[in-house]
Amino acid sequence: MSPRIGLTGLGWTGFTPTTAGRSYKELMFEAAAAAYLDAGVDPRTDVDSFVCASEDLEEGTSIFDEYVPDQIGAVQRPVHTVASDGLFALATGVMLIRSGVARTVAVEAHSKASDLLTQGRVDAFALDPVLNRPLGVPALALAGLEMRRYLDASGRDAKECAEVADRNREHARSNPRASLGDPEEADVPTFDPLTTHQTARSVDGCVVIVLAAEERSNPKTVWVDGVGWSQDAPSVESRDWAKAVAAANAAATAFAQAGVDPGDVDVAEVDDTFAYKQLQHLDAMGLERMDPDRVNRSGGALGEGYLHEANGLARTLAAVEQLRAGDGRAAVVQSWRGVPSTSAAVAVLRSA
Amino acid sequence: MTGRRVAVVGAGMTRFVRRAQETGKELAFQASRAALNAAEMTLDQIDAVCLTSAPDAFDGVHRKGDYLADGAGAWGKPYIRTYVGGGSGVFTAIQGWYTVASGQADVVLCVAEEKMSSCQPHPQGAFLTIFDNILERPLGPNLLWIFALEMNRYMNRYGLEKRDIASVAVKNKRNAADHPAALLGQADISVEDVLASEVLAWPVQRLDVSPISDGAAAVIMASEDAARRLTDRPVWVDGVGWNLDTTYWTNRDLSYPEYVEHAARMAYDMAGVTEPRKQIHVAEPYDPFDYKELHHLEGLLLFDKGKAPEAAADGVTARDGDLPCCPSGGLLGVGNPIAAAGLMKIAELFWQLRGEAGARQVPGTPERGVAQAWGDLMQVGTVVVMGVDPNGHRSASTATEPAETIGPTPLSDGEFRSASGAVDTPLDVRFAWDPGSAVGAFLDGLRDGRILATTCASCGRTLVPPRAFCERCFRATDAWTSLEAVGTVETFSICHVTWDMHPLEEPELPAVIRIDGASDGGFLHKLGEVGPDDVRIGMRVEAVWRPMEDRDGSILDIAYFRPADPGVRRELVATTEVTA
Repeated sequence: MSPRIGLTGLGWTGFTPTTAGRSYKELMFEAAAAAYLDAGVDPRTDVDSFVCASEDLEEGTSIFDEYVPDQIGAVQRPVHTVASDGLFALATGVMLIRSGVARTVAVEAHSKASDLLTQGRVDAFALDPVLNRPLGVPALALAGLEMRRYLDASGRDAKECAEVADRNREHARSNPRASLGDPEEADVPTFDPLTTHQTARSVDGCVVIVLAAEERSNPKTVWVDGVGWSQDAPSVESRDWAKAVAAANAAATAFAQAGVDPGDVDVAEVDDTFAYKQLQHLDAMGLERMDPDRVNRSGGALGEGYLHEANGLARTLAAVEQLRAGDGRAAVVQSWRGVPSTSAAVAVLRSA
Repeated sequence: MTGRRVAVVGAGMTRFVRRAQETGKELAFQASRAALNAAEMTLDQIDAVCLTSAPDAFDGVHRKGDYLADGAGAWGKPYIRTYVGGGSGVFTAIQGWYTVASGQADVVLCVAEEKMSSCQPHPQGAFLTIFDNILERPLGPNLLWIFALEMNRYMNRYGLEKRDIASVAVKNKRNAADHPAALLGQADISVEDVLASEVLAWPVQRLDVSPISDGAAAVIMASEDAARRLTDRPVWVDGVGWNLDTTYWTNRDLSYPEYVEHAARMAYDMAGVTEPRKQIHVAEPYDPFDYKELHHLEGLLLFDKGKAPEAAADGVTARDGDLPCCPSGGLLGVGNPIAAAGLMKIAELFWQLRGEAGARQVPGTPERGVAQAWGDLMQVGTVVVMGVDPNGHRSASTATEPAETIGPTPLSDGEFRSASGAVDTPLDVRFAWDPGSAVGAFLDGLRDGRILATTCASCGRTLVPPRAFCERCFRATDAWTSLEAVGTVETFSICHVTWDMHPLEEPELPAVIRIDGASDGGFLHKLGEVGPDDVRIGMRVEAVWRPMEDRDGSILDIAYFRPADPGVRRELVATTEVTA
């Protein structure tokens, strides 16, 4: 598919449990300024379109897209929001460039989770209001239900999941951005078989990535050659509890677009909101035989922290850094929106 | 360059009702099914779904897109929910356009749903949290305030009377009488009826406003190859544009929507429209309030600034006028389930340009139309230009009823309250927002009785409210300065009702105050010690501070602004003890 599209600039800030004294706007400004500097662009003249990823209830503001343009250099420019994970925003940026309506696009996602005092209440509101919410079962319990069904169907065991958590946190200890490399002080059961050690913790942070058409690429460019996204049934009554159907569908689209086979992939940054999800997602994408040491070398969300709608861009950031450093040639980036969602996105990246 | 050519090949919508028995999922299903039926298509012909809905707080569902997805036909398919507030409905068509133009999909279903009635005790409650969490929400603003403030500014700028604007409400409600999906069609309404309706927040009266509604709309968009297989009458998406202005709405000139002009120019350029007044034959501008249609027609460059009211009064925008505007009946007449109302405008152009609008059909053979929506903090413009091939095949009969209109089941208030199984869940979500460095310092300044501003050495502006960055130059701001707590009333409203429409004993007087020395205006606050009849745009005012011991680093440390001229002041009615 032409034109080829490059990731030309990266910016991030935070990735820490709190960012006291800095508002979400100020986090966005820091990350955006860093991304534009990295890409060598002026957002006021060089960026044609802006895409942000956010959800109202996470922000505590209805119609949150009102509050994004100023701090990313997007006043009186084409800006829109996807109510989804940042990787969907990146896929949107790809479409905007392929359509010809933009040549350079900035995508943004952030977490200011430390502002939200009642995350569990917000998560509860993602459950069906009539059939599920009145039961009072925490949304996170769905992860325990799914993990048990996945282990049962796949023949894997909880020990393998614990090993994922150990490995990702160990990876994080060599990642200066990651603040959660140490094991949890106590590995406490939560929604059995899920435990605290196998559950990513919320952090604050922001990621901004600049995409550009091939003629606007720079020497740092990493190509995004395929994007896909999909979802299984949103209702808990109808979904497949054993398989990550959406990740499988999304990967099939992204691989086909990129002309890449799973066997070509030597870098994977995939969703590990819960340790079992990393295994389930790799299974779904045909990457179950990958060298575990090549998966989430950043530490993943278990090591870097759970950035809510910025998770997908955090995984992208980590993959691009590895490809820029010559540590791999073809990367898969995958995100999932967390319980109770069944939405997932995949991007296939290649080094220059 | 642009990608592949994209067409609309089918459209459908539900009836718009005050309160639907159906869930949001079911509304999305009804509209999607109607569009598929109209195009004689099945869901397996759809590659991807483009979905939208406005605030999550209406439905009381977090991740509303995921929740709605299976109702919108997206089970197992790619779907993304895009979002630009009230501009979302038209934006969904833009999303459909780029999803197809990019080659990501050949055929997409665009769905816009809104179920406002779930939000209790009044859907306006969902809008209480659209305002700045630290600087505005403590003042208790509601949606009527800001539109009243903008309407007053527009009227003041061009010397307009309420009568000049009311004709829009009359036209659209009359047009809607011919729409089978309309909630508020009324063939015999008059300007006098509008002028006699209840004053909510002067200058806004009840019949100036579109109704709270439930409903959904859907259109099917396809690549050129697919479109020609699916229909012999594709309606092409010739141009798309969207534009978002600054969050700091009190720093803007509210009399003209620059962002709509930017969005329109983007769409016109893509469509090759160089003379919109000649090349646009039918328009569906966004009309949640009657003045907004006029405001938007000017932003769309279809009339000179301040001249749309005169054209409307002369019948130019009537269905049989030179430039028919909102022949559907618009939001004022058909209804305003927010996102769905925007996509309804795309559907209306589809029907009008194919000659299928039945009793609503505009005369002649229109070949090109423009649809536009608007939203956020009076901040976003979304524009789509659609057209048919000159001398292309049109519907054999203009008497054809518009595509299938189905459901939902309207419920009366009593029926809703007595329905079995209703689930009542308080949101009960708590936040502790970090004001950050700039606004944090501003709040500290208020505690000390000072109005602090930041300055940008590059553009030379002095910014109130202060920010850590200059949004125009995109650089960190350079320094702090302190301004006198005196200024000028940019615009004001006289509010007679609360956010949930209960009458106030004493009207509230919200205003935008331009602080002396600030470059682009000031901020939202309230007026006190002044009678409603004595307030004027341009009035000089000064801050009245709370006693030092009561201040807590909040926008409420300023109790209100009062006339600088003691001769205009009157005794304060409120019981709050304050110091000048």
